[in-house]
Amino acid sequence: MSDSEFDVVVIGGGSTGTAVARDCAMRGLRTLLLERDDIASATVGTCAGMISSGLKYRNEPDIMELCSEEVVHFNHIARHIMMKIPILAPLLDLSDAASDSGYIDAYSEHAEEREVPAMMFLTPEATLEIEPMVHPDVIASVYYEEFFIDPFRLSLLQALDAINHGAKVHTYCEVIGFEKTGGEIQGVVFYNRITGTTETVRTKLVVNATGPWAHKLARMNDSKLDLRLNKGTHVILDRRVVNVGITARALDGRWVYLFPHENTTLLGTTALDTWEDPDRLVASFDEIEYLLQSIEAVIPSIRESRIIRTMAGIRPLVPDWKVSEDKVTRGYQIVDHENGMISFTGGKLVMCRHMAQDVTDLVCKKLGVKAICKTHEKPLPGNEDDVDVESLSVEYGISLHTLERMRARRGTDIVKILELTKEHPEWKTTICTCEPVIEAEIRYAIREEFPQTLNDLRRRLRLGTGPCQGTSCTYKAAAILSEELDLEGDDFLVDILDFKAERWKGIRPSMRGEQLAQEELAQGIYTCVGNLDQSDVDYDLKPWEEGA
Amino acid sequence: MDLECDVLVIGAGMAGLVAGTISSNEGVSTILLRKGQSATAYSSGAIDVMGYLPDASEPFSTPSEGLTAVAAMLPLHPYSIVGYSESVQPDTVVDEIVGSARAAISWLKNSLRDTIAPLIGSFDSNISALTVFGTTKPTCLVQETMNSESLQDEDSTLLFAGFAGYPDFNPSAAAKVFLEDRIAIGLPPRKVGRCVLKLAPFGKLYNLSSIEIARHLDHGNSIEELAKQLKPQADKLGATHVAIPPILGIRNALENKKLLEELTGVEVFELLGVPPSVPGLRLQMALEGLFRKGGGRLLAGHEAISYTKNGELLDAVMVRTPRRRMKIKSKATILATGKFIGGGLAGDENGIRETVFDLMTVTGTYHSAGDITPSRFTNRVSITPSSQPVYSCGLTVDPHFRPVQEDGVEWSSNLFAAGSILAGYDYSSEKSGLGVATTTGYIAIRKAMDFLKGVDLK
Amino acid sequence: MNEDEAFEYVKGTLRSERITPYHPYEIEVVRSIEKCINCGLCINHCPVVAAVGIDRFSGPRSIAVELSRSPPEYWSTADIVYLCTGCGTCREVCPKNVDIPEVVNLIRARIFKHRPDLVPKGFYVVQEPLTEYNLAFQPWEDKEEKSESRDMRLEKLGLPYVQDRVLDKAEILFYPGCQAEERAQEVREAAKVILDYFDVDYTLLDEMSCCGLPARLMGDDQTARSLADRLKKKVKKMGIKKVVTTCAGCTSNLSDLSYYFDWGVPTVHILEFLAEDIGLQRFGEDMANSSRLSPVHVTVHDPCHLIRHTSRQIMDYALEILREIPNVRVTESEAYDSCCGGGGLVSYHSRDVADAVVKENIEAIQKTGAERLVTPCPLCTAQIENNLFKSGSSVEVDDLTVFIAQRLPKKG
Repeated sequence: MSDSEFDVVVIGGGSTGTAVARDCAMRGLRTLLLERDDIASATVGTCAGMISSGLKYRNEPDIMELCSEEVVHFNHIARHIMMKIPILAPLLDLSDAASDSGYIDAYSEHAEEREVPAMMFLTPEATLEIEPMVHPDVIASVYYEEFFIDPFRLSLLQALDAINHGAKVHTYCEVIGFEKTGGEIQGVVFYNRITGTTETVRTKLVVNATGPWAHKLARMNDSKLDLRLNKGTHVILDRRVVNVGITARALDGRWVYLFPHENTTLLGTTALDTWEDPDRLVASFDEIEYLLQSIEAVIPSIRESRIIRTMAGIRPLVPDWKVSEDKVTRGYQIVDHENGMISFTGGKLVMCRHMAQDVTDLVCKKLGVKAICKTHEKPLPGNEDDVDVESLSVEYGISLHTLERMRARRGTDIVKILELTKEHPEWKTTICTCEPVIEAEIRYAIREEFPQTLNDLRRRLRLGTGPCQGTSCTYKAAAILSEELDLEGDDFLVDILDFKAERWKGIRPSMRGEQLAQEELAQGIYTCVGNLDQSDVDYDLKPWEEGA
Repeated sequence: MDLECDVLVIGAGMAGLVAGTISSNEGVSTILLRKGQSATAYSSGAIDVMGYLPDASEPFSTPSEGLTAVAAMLPLHPYSIVGYSESVQPDTVVDEIVGSARAAISWLKNSLRDTIAPLIGSFDSNISALTVFGTTKPTCLVQETMNSESLQDEDSTLLFAGFAGYPDFNPSAAAKVFLEDRIAIGLPPRKVGRCVLKLAPFGKLYNLSSIEIARHLDHGNSIEELAKQLKPQADKLGATHVAIPPILGIRNALENKKLLEELTGVEVFELLGVPPSVPGLRLQMALEGLFRKGGGRLLAGHEAISYTKNGELLDAVMVRTPRRRMKIKSKATILATGKFIGGGLAGDENGIRETVFDLMTVTGTYHSAGDITPSRFTNRVSITPSSQPVYSCGLTVDPHFRPVQEDGVEWSSNLFAAGSILAGYDYSSEKSGLGVATTTGYIAIRKAMDFLKGVDLK
Repeated sequence: MNEDEAFEYVKGTLRSERITPYHPYEIEVVRSIEKCINCGLCINHCPVVAAVGIDRFSGPRSIAVELSRSPPEYWSTADIVYLCTGCGTCREVCPKNVDIPEVVNLIRARIFKHRPDLVPKGFYVVQEPLTEYNLAFQPWEDKEEKSESRDMRLEKLGLPYVQDRVLDKAEILFYPGCQAEERAQEVREAAKVILDYFDVDYTLLDEMSCCGLPARLMGDDQTARSLADRLKKKVKKMGIKKVVTTCAGCTSNLSDLSYYFDWGVPTVHILEFLAEDIGLQRFGEDMANSSRLSPVHVTVHDPCHLIRHTSRQIMDYALEILREIPNVRVTESEAYDSCCGGGGLVSYHSRDVADAVVKENIEAIQKTGAERLVTPCPLCTAQIENNLFKSGSSVEVDDLTVFIAQRLPKKG
């Protein structure tokens, strides 16, 4: 395949863009994915990873049906990166129950196909036994089950599977223009941020999967696209502080949740219409208080739990205005600009595969290709079989927990990493002590999963996502990255500063409690001992670091 | 059973141990409470006094110069407090400030001479010490095992040596950083190399920690084995110096260094490392040893939780162990509980508070910190010479190091404070941590002993 | 589904997701563990790390920051958490006093429930007598033989036999603990000698039952709680004011139970009782009159369950008590407060680890030149005695209670 001629160029490496690239490649199209930063580095990187039954959108029965179907598909293709979570919605007064009971039927309608029970009621005693942190005045609770997926791994696996099917994936390539003839796109011009060069590729079609930047990319193509951008912020708590997920009415009557996720707990989310630059987005004090006060009503002691950071992202909703955010459809729209570009608006994580299928159908139709979608049938890499981590632990002499965490990221692919330790036993060394991550997995990811920075490694490995937020692993991992990529000394230091900057972006808004001690320690390591505050390397301020 | 003493020191980091050692050496009955180990115990083991002014980009070439600048420009800095004493004449303020720090640092150096953590360096020059990152930092004293002074020679060649399966130090990254830096500033050495050695204290070449290696090197003929691997590497490069991570031993580090040098024919020195650091452990053990030797009583696992006051005097401190409580009566008390790591300060979204006595807290500019939102006292950039202002919060004290209240009057005439719990400086960006701790501990205990002798501290 | 069926269903899901909800009292432990800032200071001090290395036992830092974060994955920590001796050194040196020993128990309890196949088989030796006889050891089949063994020990040690007594309205309950009840009977007898000598109004239990510590350590929460409840009921019914014990483990466990479950009755070690209730002055005066004071050179071992789980004050008392006994010379061992490896039930499945931990103590004890080691814990006594013997040392080991009783003047 030529490196400069494609049937379709997908722009945007989020959950949708990677799904589109995978689908296109699987259908035999010559496919290129261009991503400005890294896979899953923006919107999908700030979502909770819930692939929801669509419970909140019961006024849209089609959406609920679609969500349910997609959950079934994900359970088939990506079981190894999924977790089921039991959820309680504690009711503190009768009006909670009475105001909105239609969702019970709506949820239960599709429960069976997802292999979860219909929604049910629990007594206060049962509620408190399941979750002693619930307010003691609870009068009943509603119980249901949802699924979570690792959104980083999902996007990456889709990208890797696209590559397996012949697609090209270029990260750190920012589209800066289109070559057009007669108003029709003929080529895509992009700036390669790694090589510092501008490149052009020819393509028949462009799929604009850039989420909150979709309107800007459309404008670059002289097309108009309307979006309703909506900010969502999460507060992340250390470890699983609740036994089950908790949902509750927020101060303003919306729903918020407290979900155990991997080995953290997510408190989310806010919904604020925004016109802010997505690159500068950080959580605000108001959002943090809103979330804490909202969940405090049902989990009174929540403030005693340790907040490790926040994350903020933007939902690219379809442009329904004059209604509140939760009344905007969670469906998606495919907009054919009829000049070689097709754009998305709306959608949710759970729909990403379906959105890809729809758009690929359209792409195929336009290109006159007859090929059917198989993305819901073929498993993603690593989902081939069960993994017996207990025997692997004995065989390779690596702790059981390390392997169990690795399994949750990689499924059957775990063996490829373990094999590396036969030749390099020293790579069994734990680098990130919180998650944990061993050196072999870092080296493997650098070689096989095209990361360029420590942040890219974090998305692939959960490196530095624990309570210490990279305090003790940043310099260790940076050295490995530097070795593998044969970087210069300055780059090694810049990698450390970059990673610290990104972690700090999330830590800073919610800084309190033990995070004050944690950051004192981090400052002790990098500023006091490392003297990195005085380092004269070429460090570019990040968008959120600029300004007074 | 309740206890009584003349001086009670709360907190067993640098400030508390300096204070307690001085009073017990002078025959004053001293009890030291250690809730847990302190930031001192995982410091790099070097004694920073004054590296940089806030926002500055050039380091001070001597601590003495740094202190002079502090005295002139940072009136709220803990170093400057001695200058406010009524006994100090206006024209000798700077001398007093510089002199008191000099005296404290020299006391520390002398005291540690015959311990497992002997120091080198002086108040009249800052050492440019190498770190495990390959960077350098200005510091006043380093442990003798870290002495890299002769590296400045024109013809020196440096070998960075790491260990397989030991993630805390990567010789390749450090060597590159260091060499690029040397080339940029045009100073020797201009030739560096790196190597990876193999040590397996428990028969495995992975998941090694500093403490395991240090213990291993303290025993048997492990230094000889290390030398056997190191010598060919040093010879191959023609190295005059070898930089290794700070793991040379706990009790025998200096002897180990000497033996290794003898066996390899090159100078060996430890880099400044990060927590949990072995030199920090050596320093903590050495200081605790000094305190005990002086006759002080160290109560490990004891946490001060509340107090009783008798009029304006602090009468007793209530203390908790895991499952017991007791009361300790003292005539004077030194509060040296540290910052957020040590637990002297705690903060939430509503403000910063002092944890034992609920003393007034202030920001680095002496505004109330009792009601600040910590996130608003931070910088957008994480690692910056402008520092994170929240770490300059702490206590404000009178010229006798007694914490004061909102009305400017001391909280009690027999409670003194020292160390990183004091407001007005950020040790990370200044590179001043253990220097401030030593100096303020040294002065605060003298004030406390003056109080015991009945000197009027007005 | 009605509400009861729904609850059963949910419990089934939680089981299959391997989630055991936290008990309200466990939330305090979780809060404590959340304070870890991953500084790694604990690693420098953990005796198991020192003995076997980070790769075999990833250490307290790893327990706090990695292994305790996700309950559904607790089962996967089974190759690590059973190697913790629960000595509490990490908690004591930690700037945040993170409660690692307790979270280890919490994790073990989850493994016991969800993956009993991963619980070390060696534990069942303890579990059987616990559930069958409410004791940590298989009781003597023949009570006669038990008495004979006791008398032999008393004779060897030169201790008189004081009749057992079970009184209705005593002030003090003397609780010997399982080890002294079934194995080291001399400790139980020695305590009676001391209590009797000072005319303490004390009673024994009508029927001895375990405080539940071994069950707690192996993760058998249900048994631990039923044993604790059983004891609490008895203690409450007897109306006693204070429990006195000779076992370090019982001292800390009963103090924990009293704290968490509101017993309202304090438990103290007999050393505390001597120092605080009898008084060192009285003790010293009486000791001065003793005729059984041949000179002896001892070194002392501090049991973790006293110094790090209860209070270091207790061993300060021990030294003061030894100071009051004429002709006793004490030399401090370099490893006087280092864990002997006997805790956490580690020796029940990984004897090599337990014995690697005690090595440091053995070397340090021998360096002191003392002829005897004294320690107020029957478990430490056994662990150190075995290992001294194995190393060919001539140093003998005495339980401190026995050591004191032997030196008391004859009563009357």
